[in-house]
Formats: sequence, C-alpha cells, structure tokens
Amino acid sequence: MARSLVVRARPARSSGGRVRRLVEVVLLAVLAAAMLFPVLWMLETSVKENRDVYAVPAKLVGFDITLDHYRDVFVGPAGGASDLSVALLNSVVVAGASTVLATVLGVPAAWAYSRFTLRAKKDQLFFILSTRFMPPVVVVIPIFLMYRQLGLIDTQLGLILIYTAFNVPFTIWMMKGFVDQVPSEYEDAAMLDGHTRFQAFRRITLPLLLPGIAATAVFALIFSWNEFVYAIFLTSSQEVRTAPPAIAGLIGGTTVDWGLVAASACVFALPVLVFAYLVRKHLVAGVTLGAVRR
Amino acid sequence: MVLTNEHPVQEVTSTPPAPVRTSRLGDRGLAAVFISPAMLLLLAMSVFPLLWALSLSFTNYSATGSAPAEFVGFANYAEILTSEAVRRRALTTLVYVVGAVTLQTVLGFGIAYLISRRTRGRGLLTTLFLVPMMLSPVVVGLFWRFMLDAQFGVVNSMLGSLGIEPVEWLTRQETAMVSLIVVDTWQWTPFIMLIALAGLTAVPRYLYEAASIDRASEWFRFRNITLPLVWPLLLIAVMFRAIEAFRLFDLVYILTNGGPGVSTETLSFHVNKVAFLGFNTGTASAYGILMVVVVIVLAQIYLRYLNKLKED
Amino acid sequence: MAGIEITSLHMRYPDGTVAVDEVDLSVGDGELFVMLGPSGCGKTTTLRAVAGLERQTSGTIHIGDTLVDDLPPGERDIAMVFQFYALYPHLKARDNLAFPLRAEGLPEPEVRRRVDEAARMLQLGPLMDRRPQRLSGGEQQRVALARALVRRPRAFLMDEPLTNLDAEQRADMRSQIKHLQGELGATMVYVTHDQVEAMSLGHRIAVLNQGRVEQIGTPMEVYDRPASLFCAAFIGSPPMNLLDVEVADGSLRGQGGLALPVPPGLPDRRALVAGVRPEALEVTAPGADGAVRGRVVSAEVLGDEIIYVVDCDGQRDVRVRMAPTARFAVEAPVGVRHVGGPPPVYDRDSERLVA
Repeated sequence: MARSLVVRARPARSSGGRVRRLVEVVLLAVLAAAMLFPVLWMLETSVKENRDVYAVPAKLVGFDITLDHYRDVFVGPAGGASDLSVALLNSVVVAGASTVLATVLGVPAAWAYSRFTLRAKKDQLFFILSTRFMPPVVVVIPIFLMYRQLGLIDTQLGLILIYTAFNVPFTIWMMKGFVDQVPSEYEDAAMLDGHTRFQAFRRITLPLLLPGIAATAVFALIFSWNEFVYAIFLTSSQEVRTAPPAIAGLIGGTTVDWGLVAASACVFALPVLVFAYLVRKHLVAGVTLGAVRR
Repeated sequence: MVLTNEHPVQEVTSTPPAPVRTSRLGDRGLAAVFISPAMLLLLAMSVFPLLWALSLSFTNYSATGSAPAEFVGFANYAEILTSEAVRRRALTTLVYVVGAVTLQTVLGFGIAYLISRRTRGRGLLTTLFLVPMMLSPVVVGLFWRFMLDAQFGVVNSMLGSLGIEPVEWLTRQETAMVSLIVVDTWQWTPFIMLIALAGLTAVPRYLYEAASIDRASEWFRFRNITLPLVWPLLLIAVMFRAIEAFRLFDLVYILTNGGPGVSTETLSFHVNKVAFLGFNTGTASAYGILMVVVVIVLAQIYLRYLNKLKED
Repeated sequence: MAGIEITSLHMRYPDGTVAVDEVDLSVGDGELFVMLGPSGCGKTTTLRAVAGLERQTSGTIHIGDTLVDDLPPGERDIAMVFQFYALYPHLKARDNLAFPLRAEGLPEPEVRRRVDEAARMLQLGPLMDRRPQRLSGGEQQRVALARALVRRPRAFLMDEPLTNLDAEQRADMRSQIKHLQGELGATMVYVTHDQVEAMSLGHRIAVLNQGRVEQIGTPMEVYDRPASLFCAAFIGSPPMNLLDVEVADGSLRGQGGLALPVPPGLPDRRALVAGVRPEALEVTAPGADGAVRGRVVSAEVLGDEIIYVVDCDGQRDVRVRMAPTARFAVEAPVGVRHVGGPPPVYDRDSERLVA
C-alpha cells in the first residue's frame, strides 16, 4: 500500500488492552518525572534564597524567588564582569571557533570520501573513526608536553586546536552520510553543463548539504562546549579558562554557594538544550556518529 | 549559415567558443586538497601524540623533573600490570562499566518500548527524555552532588519523608559506587533509549499485522519480531556506551573525586592522577597505552562476535 | 470454507475522508472474488476491515455465519497474504510456516505434517531451510502463501500479493494461485489494481472507485458491458475507446460519420458516449461505407496482433486491434469502421450505462 493514512482506525481490541495501556502510561509518566526532576530541581534551586537552598528538609514549594544568583553569575563582587562571565565568553569563543574550523576541514573531506574511490578508503575512514575512541588521557600527556614546548599551554588557540582535532572525525563521519544521500547525478549533470567538479560541489551540492552541516555543527558545538578534560589540564588561568573548569572550581572551597552553582549550571546548560532541540531530528545519527540513521 | 550568390563568404553565426573550463586540479588533486588538511590535523593531534606517548612509555620521564628521559624498556608496563593499585582500579572500573551499562540498557530499552507503543506525543516524550544526555557531565555531576548531599540534598529529604534515615551517598564507600552508577545511568539511559527507539520504529508494521492474524501472543511477537530486529542495533549502542564509560573522567572527578578514599577511582581517573599529580609521565603514558590496547582488543572481539551473529 | 457478507460497510477517518462508502459485497463459499481499482479506491481498506486490522465506522461483516465485527484478527479464522510478504526475517522458511500453528498450540507432529503438506503444494522443498533474505521475491511470496495455507482458515485474504514481483514471477504465481484455489475450493478475497490479474483470476470482480462499488460481475460481464465510464476506461488493455455519439433517425452515429449498430432500449438523448473495444473496429481504406476518415499515428506490432492508433475526424487516438497481416503505414490516410455487435452506451453526464 503506497498511501498511508494519517490516523488509522483502531483495530478491534479486548478490554484487557485498556488496563495495559493505563499501566504503560503511568510507567512512562513516572520515568519521565524521574528524568526531569533533577533538572527542575536545579532550576528551582537557582532561584531560591540561600536560606531555602539549605533548608532541611528540602523545600519543594512555597519559597520566594530571587534572581540574585543569576546576577552573581555575571557580575563580580566588585561590580565588574565576574570570573564566570569571562569563562563563559571563553567557552563561546573556543567552542565557536573549533566548530567552524572542524566544519571547514571536515565537510570537504567528507564529500571527497563519498564521491571518490580512494586507495585504502575504508581503512582511512576506520582510522578517522578510531581517533574518536581514544581515551583523552593517552593523548593529554603528549599534547601537554607538546603545548608546553610550543607555548600553547593556557591559550585559547591551544584548546581550539585540540577541540577541532576531536570534532573533525565526527564531522567527517556524519557528513559523509549526508553527502551519500545527495545523488552524485546532480554533479554529473552540472559537469555536463560545463562546470568543473569543484564548481559543481560548491554550487549544487553544498547548498543541499546545509541542513546536514547545521546539524553536524551543532553536535560539534555541544561537544566543545561541554568538554572538560582538556580544558582542565591544558588551561589554568582565569582569563583563559572555559566554563566547565570554572564552574567545577566553585565547589573547591570549604563552603559551597549552591545557589550560585545551580544558576551557573543552568546558564551553562541552556544553550546546549536549545541547540539540541533544534536538531532533534538528527539526534540519533549524531550520537552514534552517523552509524544509525532514522 | 547562408550560402548565396551574393555572399560567397560564409557568415559565421555559430555561438562563440565556450570559455576554457579545464580546472587546474584533476579529480585526484581535488580529493587530495580536500582531505589533506583534515588528515594533517588528525595526524598532528592524534597520531603523533599517540606515538609520542608510546615512546614515553618506555622511559622514566617526568614532566616536572629536569633529568632527561632514560630508556627503561618495559619496566613501566611491568610495574603497572603487577600493581595492586592498578588491579584495584581495574576492578572498580569493571563494576562501574558493567553495572551502569546493564542498567542503562534495560531501562533504555524499556522506555523505548513504552514510547513505541504510543501513537501520540512521541516527539515530545523523546525530546523530554533526551535532556539528561545533552548536559555536560560537569553540570550533571554538580546537580547530583547537591541532590545527594547528606545534609541538605533533596534525595535524603524525600527519603526522610518516607521515614528512612538519611544516607551518606557520596561519603561512604558502599554507596559512593552505587551513586556513581545511578548518576551515569540517569545521564546516559536516553542514549540507549534513542537508539532502541529508532530500531523499534523501523520494524515494519505489517510483520505485527501478520502476527496478529496468526494469533501470536504478545510475548511471541516480542520474541520473534521485535527482539531479533532490534537486537543488532542495541548491541552497537551497548558497545558505544561501554567504550565511553571506560573513558569517563569528568563525572568521577566532580561527583566523588575518586573518593571516598579511592573507592570510586576508575582506571581513567587514576591514570590522570598519576600523570598530573605524581607527574610520572613515563608510567602514566604506559598506563594510557595499555588502556587503549584493552579497548581496541575488546572492541575487536565484540565486533567479531556481532558479525558472527549477523551471519547466522 | 465459508462465504463472506459485507453489509453497508462505511469507513470514515477522523479527518473526514471517507475511504469506504456504504459498500455491499457478497463473496460465495469457494469463490475467488477480486476487488479491483486504482490506488486509493478503498479496496485494501475494505480487506483490512474484513481481516480485523482496522475497524469500520459502521456496517457489518459476516464470515460464514459469524458476525466478526468485535473479534480481533486472530479469532476470525482467516489468513492473509501481504504485499510485502511479511515473513519473519530471522526464521527459516520452515519455521515461518510453523509459526502460526505453534502459536495456536498445536502438537509438534501435527505441525510438521501440515508444514510438509503446504510445502509440497507450493514446491518449497529446497527452500525450507533458508531465511527470507536468501529467497527471491517470488519464493518469498510462495512461502507467505504456504504460511496462509497451513492454517486451513475459512477464507484467504490477499492484499496485492503479486505487485512486488517482476513480470515473469507474476505470471507464474498467478497460475499457481488459480490452481491452488481451484484444488482447495478456497474462499479468496483478492485485492489488486492490475486488471489483467483480476480478469485472469477472478470468478467475479468488484470494481471500486473512490470508496464505492462501480460494478460487480464475472470477468466477461465487466469486460463486455462495463457499468460506468470509469469501468469502461479501467478494464481492457488497450483501453476501450470512448466515443461521443448521437442518435440520428433511429441510428447511432459517432463523430465523423462512424456508423454504429443500435443497442436495444437506447433512450433518445443528446449527450451519449459509446464504449467501443479496439477489436470491434477495423482499419480499412478511406471512404469505405460507414467509416470515419482518419490518419494512422502509430502502429504497435506485437507479433500476434497490431494495435493501430488513429486520429479520426472528431476523435483523437482511436485504438484499433487488427490481425498481424494488416499493413497500414504510419501517416497513411485510412478509414475506421465498426464491426461486431452493439456497443454499450453511456450517458455523458451521469457516466452510467444506459443501453
């Protein structure tokens, strides 16, 4: 049957089915609540007065709302920009730059892998994939030494480079899948019309790839934004640190300002959630590096 | 073209010659130009460091020491493989990976199954369940550290309202590992769920219809249609998760910092400690290389097993 | 075996579309009943309602003496063959056949007996231990057919089972299905959009269009006297020529002077259309008596016959079926003349048969 109707008429069903459906709905609701509760709790905490934050037993409702913590995220004790806001800005710069670079490097490579038969293509692709699976620890030590020699320790550029290097394999794998879906006949037709291969790529294929590029870039952005290991080992100063180490540093001392922690965590997490929502259709492909497509 | 008596010379009315369109790069050249920058970057930032780490692993180099590196052969490797401390972390890691991945798989598949049986609100449900996965492990670690706090954590609060004594989640050895597994499960169950859901929705509806006409029971349908078609996908997801869990550092660092004591120190955490606290660079490199080898070997075995399953 | 009674079946979807519009059908015990129509006409929806895979908005369905409206598919004692075979992918052919029997809880020896019997009927011998992905389309469909057979149901429902096969496999399977149905005396409801299949298989054909039954009859009835312009255009390959005609002095005239025999009971109306089969026309020399002038546009030489397409005065693309000995050249001026009995005549506005 080629045509599929929007809503199917329900098949004849026994009443046992109704009880079962109820159980399923209840189970789902409980699980969904369990999944979301921590997030909601942190949101709550971020707008609570300190006395409510530390209340024992914890207050679920019936508290006053304050935006002080959010203010503290951005405004330092002396009135200028807070350290956290500097860190957040660093995150924006580093994540943005590394994403752009990874896209610029990865998309053409993905296209080349898709269109051309190359020597040892499968091996090359496997090699690219395997770099993604290396534990950062193995690479952190030599990179640390390398950066020390090159003076890249504690620099934005250093982080940008390493994030790009980690985003490129992912970009290539995911974009290759997208390129595979654009028939090469379009380029053949363009070349018959007189374009070069490169022009065909630029004028015909690239515009068609934009949605895929956007989705891939968002994933790279999310990864770079959330990254912690390299950030904490390759940077140390306030000016250069990105958000994850900075926020983690909030729980270093003897007393922890949990309201501030909650607010910073929420501010930090928001862009990612927004972006993830925008590419929700590609999420399955994204998290499995393009191995699974819906 | 008109040839007449009045105009013995041909009038050329053809189109002007096409502009020269030969590119200066042939196909091979284009491929090289497109691929090389990415390759070079990867070689510089992944392969070269790996090789360097490999060479370091055969020395006693220390990044903070001023003495030059001395070649010590396999001494580092021997030390690690016989180390009681390493063995302990290996066990910890095993408990963690097996516990977390199993729990996530069961829960993830269960949720995916429940969602796949619904016709409405699927998109919304899926998006809701995805939230934990998209958060940084730092954020997740912080959230849960606060929630599991023995004094003013909301978890103990809720337990208290049920009449249960407060539990020292993160500060007692037995419960710390449990907490780590629970938090990791909370964050990564959606990963398995997403993939399982993709597999479940790909099962063609007419198979279920044929089964309903053949009077198959729900269990029959599950075992003979759903499970066999979703199984391969699930196994891939499990492999991804296991590899990621093995590499995990962020969550451990934030949630427990390896404690209490060293009870939640995974291999990944330990090697970072050795590298950047003790600065035994040579030893740490050997440690890291061993971990990579283990991952590769296990992954190969697993994939081979998967391929065998597919062929049956 | 049992007959199937479909009474006032109406199926309307929440968004308002009516898929099946007050359909009445009666399938006899042991009959191969075909539901024919273009995609979207409601034939598959009706079949699925009989199967219990969808619930009708109103109307009743009886299988044998049993009212089945509230019964789930598994309890209606029917078997279904799907367009996409629907074989369980990880089970061998043998286990696919055994599946429904095991689900019912039949003892193993009985299962084996019935499986072997069905395998024999469809010559599945060498295929029994293969998985579906290692079977061709035709082989998969034979396995699907066998799976339906093992259940020994009261009726078989077939949803376009041959649509996914190539031409050769299709012809092969068609004769197998026909043979099987005859041997078993099985009640079969067969859905297709291919009128060749319908004509060759069905004892009776129901032509459906937009949720309504246009005509029910034997293949020859539907072929010779289609009940509406839709049926006239749908059945027959090449399709029937639909010619505007008018009654003049008690005789029937087509455009350009084509003379047609008058069917009995022809009403005196203006807007009439005659359905003339290509074999009821012949191409002759221009100017012949009662012929209309035309020019040959194309000639399809098929070996055992030639189909001429002729642009006539007042009517384009008239198709004429001639013996292979006829030789008229393309662009040649010719005449087209009616031979044979009175054609069915339709009212142009109501599109229904009037004589």
